[in-house]
Amino acid sequence: MFKLKHHQYGYLFVAPFIIGFLVFGLYPVVNTIVLSFTDRTLMSSSYSFTGLRNFQLLFADKTFITAIKNTWQLWLMNFIPQMGIAFLLSIWFTNNRLKLRGVGVWRMIFYMPNLMMASAVAALFFSLFSFYGPVNQFLVRAGFLPEAIDFLRKPAVARGLVVFIQWWMWFGQTTILLMAAMTAISPSLYEAALVDGAGTIQMFLRITLPLIKPVLVYVLVTSLVGGMQMFDIPYLLTDGRGSPSNSILTNTINMYMKFHSSKGHIGAASAVGLVVFLMTSIVALLIFFLLREKHDQPAKAKR
Amino acid sequence: MKRLFGFLAVLMVMSLVLGACGTPATPATEAPAADVPATGEKTVLNVWSFTNEILTMAVAFEKSHPDVDVVYTMIPMTNGEYQTKLLATLGTAGVPDVVALEAAFVKSYVESDFLADIGDLQKYADELKVYPFVYEVGMADGVHKAYAYQATPGALFYRRSLAKEYFGTDDPVEMQELLGDFDKYIAAAEVIKEKSGGDTYMVSSNGDFQNLFFANREQPWVVDGKLTVDPMVDKMVETVKIFRDNGYEARATQWQEGWFAGMNDTLTDAAGNPKKIFSYFLPTWGLPYVLYPNSTSSDGASTTKGDWAVIEGPLPYQWGGTWLGVMKETKNMDLAKEFVRFCTLDEENLTNWATGVYTNEYLKAIDPTVPDDQYQAAGDFVGSQVVVEKIMASFDESEMSKFLGGQNSYGGFAAAAPSVNARLMQGSDDAIQRALNDPLNSYLEGTITLDEMWATWKDAVRNEFPDLIID
Repeated sequence: MFKLKHHQYGYLFVAPFIIGFLVFGLYPVVNTIVLSFTDRTLMSSSYSFTGLRNFQLLFADKTFITAIKNTWQLWLMNFIPQMGIAFLLSIWFTNNRLKLRGVGVWRMIFYMPNLMMASAVAALFFSLFSFYGPVNQFLVRAGFLPEAIDFLRKPAVARGLVVFIQWWMWFGQTTILLMAAMTAISPSLYEAALVDGAGTIQMFLRITLPLIKPVLVYVLVTSLVGGMQMFDIPYLLTDGRGSPSNSILTNTINMYMKFHSSKGHIGAASAVGLVVFLMTSIVALLIFFLLREKHDQPAKAKR
Repeated sequence: MKRLFGFLAVLMVMSLVLGACGTPATPATEAPAADVPATGEKTVLNVWSFTNEILTMAVAFEKSHPDVDVVYTMIPMTNGEYQTKLLATLGTAGVPDVVALEAAFVKSYVESDFLADIGDLQKYADELKVYPFVYEVGMADGVHKAYAYQATPGALFYRRSLAKEYFGTDDPVEMQELLGDFDKYIAAAEVIKEKSGGDTYMVSSNGDFQNLFFANREQPWVVDGKLTVDPMVDKMVETVKIFRDNGYEARATQWQEGWFAGMNDTLTDAAGNPKKIFSYFLPTWGLPYVLYPNSTSSDGASTTKGDWAVIEGPLPYQWGGTWLGVMKETKNMDLAKEFVRFCTLDEENLTNWATGVYTNEYLKAIDPTVPDDQYQAAGDFVGSQVVVEKIMASFDESEMSKFLGGQNSYGGFAAAAPSVNARLMQGSDDAIQRALNDPLNSYLEGTITLDEMWATWKDAVRNEFPDLIID
């Protein structure tokens, strides 16, 4: 072996990560891209390159378009209320004037749903809302409904449940992140603003919001990535095929269905993966661009 | 320059690692001692399955083949783990020698290039008069690739007490007369609804019917690469619609709470009114694994034990079953074939299997490491007509026969088995049929029309089978 010079040890130390990334990160991505141009199935050893055929089929396929629409809808519908509640809670919890007690306890309670297994949560809601389940029993016996409703066969109910579960599982996490960002802001800024006669809203818009922007970008992007890959709850809540009426069919369920069909069409599944990857990347970059730190740019004379 | 050197160093380390990854299948560590017998080491045979059933036979196999060590791997298939794992292993060095294949996916493997031709076992199948549908499932283009130890003909189970109440008889022969085809079955559903004032349903779920109609089609789903709908499928849609619209069906879902509750008479509607289910369509394994264990409610207060009877029902069908195939890449081809022959086409083994010889003590005597709950209770319906006829009488007094009010459980299935046909089964069946569930239910609920139902279904099938021609 050759002898390493002092300043080259760094390469040795980062090697494990780089190797891990290349094998488990880059290789699968490259392989997915290659696969998406083939008609490869798992049940046959031969395959050929088919160019853009997988993508042509995808965009001609109503189910794929439905899945993309659903994924965006389900994500936006849970992300917007999630941010709203998280903002409200973190402002209350970090407010120096309110001085709420038991913040730690509340924070823990709100975070709790996130610790539960998605499969357990889905199974819970599934049995609660099934045709012979307790929700129907309660509503009929209390006289709210004339007869039982098959809730999970109603697209609006299924969608609402997915949105609610996603919101309920993740708002605690977002609250904690926002709180961490808000507590890091020096109180002297608020004191100064107060002295200058700023109101609560003004302080929020002019001090809090700009200073937590990096965390906001982080929350947005991670939630976007997670949302575009939403799988477990909608997969487990009904039949694993996005029923009723494809209302909770997400991109990843669609991809899994292609992979899992009797032949295992990994070529076609990779094409879905690639489109979702491109879509997520573009939107994530857009978020970075829109929320970029303005003062990083070539300075313009401000005054 | 220094930077370049550093980069090269990293590249070298990387290429070493990647190089090591590039040559998987290091046979030195993986390969069993296949080629070196007689050194006291046993030949290893890798068997994969999705239940612990076949482990019993694997242990019995070791008794008659002391020089073999069967390494048994069980991967559950609750959420498709088994299929995923098997798919991912195909074409790598990690493939097992023998694989168990369930009805839902056996055909896609039989149709693929991965299973070996084991047609030389067919002579044993002929000798034991194996029901044709059992080995036909394991055939593709005339080549035999899988055999099964069991036959899984379907039957109709009904409640004796309710039959007496509504039809004045609980005799299986008379009931078969009354329910012998679907027109009669629908007429009987009307009688039950009227006489019970709507408190007894003919069936629990619309899913119960589907296997029957699918099994009696004349064309498969895919003809020359084209999606085809047989008239029997239209008949199925028509029938389930009648059952839903007339309230003959309890609107439960297979494998879910309401479906099981009907088996032990604890079904109540949302308002709290008790409801009863008259009949269930279940195959051979449905008796010991589904109906029997669910016939008593969890609090033990309500039981339907002894109140059931079994008949052929309106249409012959088969449901489920486990087949065994040999992977092409196996290094122990002869031994793997011998294992399949022993499990599926060996008269003594099949007899032992079905008559409860394989008790836990029996298995422990061969291999003390066998788990305490590993055994095979009597009653599985085997695929060999020769064995079935020999052992039928031994079931007159069995637990399952008591459960059926004294009716010989084996006899009911033996009557149904010869008329089953599985020639139309294809690898894509499961996915195509599953895709129909959601649109069909929407149609039954009246939210979409019949035409919309077919259109939605075709979209769903197109999504999963990009190569299929669909009008």
